[in-house]
Amino acid sequence: MNGVCAPAKRRPLLAAALAWFFPGLGHLYLGRRRTALFYTAIVLVTFLLGLSFEGRLYSPDRSQPLTFLATFALFGAGLPNILARLFSENPAGVILAVTYEYGCAYLLTAGLMNLLLILDAWDIAVGRKP
Amino acid sequence: MIALVPVDHFLIMTIYALLVSSFFALLWREGKRERWRLFGILLASLLLGGLAVAWLMYPFPS
Repeated sequence: MNGVCAPAKRRPLLAAALAWFFPGLGHLYLGRRRTALFYTAIVLVTFLLGLSFEGRLYSPDRSQPLTFLATFALFGAGLPNILARLFSENPAGVILAVTYEYGCAYLLTAGLMNLLLILDAWDIAVGRKP
Repeated sequence: MIALVPVDHFLIMTIYALLVSSFFALLWREGKRERWRLFGILLASLLLGGLAVAWLMYPFPS
């Protein structure tokens, strides 16, 4: 039902690292193929919509302390965030775009979702969650 | 690509609500029935909550 394949013991740290690296990869490693697929789709769609809405890929700025939290949230998305920073034409977003605020919200949400997935993968690997 | 990006506020809010509801239904519940139930509750709460906040903000100037 949940795509659970093998109840084999898994390494929590590796599960968490994989979960950070790419959305859903930690759950795939834990044998939950179906949920992994859903998580990948949800987080990636959210992140890509955030980019297409011209949201901002936050970087730390001492004059705006909240940008530290926003950067942390975005780095939660792992590889998609890194690739977006490398290849995006405008990582600061387009503040005059109608969809700019939505884009920021989508991007931050994608990062925060993946941070929760890291914790979930950890919990499953240590046996705290069935 | 630009033409495909929706600029309708309600549509963007609805897509957001769909994604967030799906995510938390999968994360917080086990079993198909419980997941669909939570998905419905979250989706309705986000959409109706968004509309309620928009309605409350309506008298305020931009």
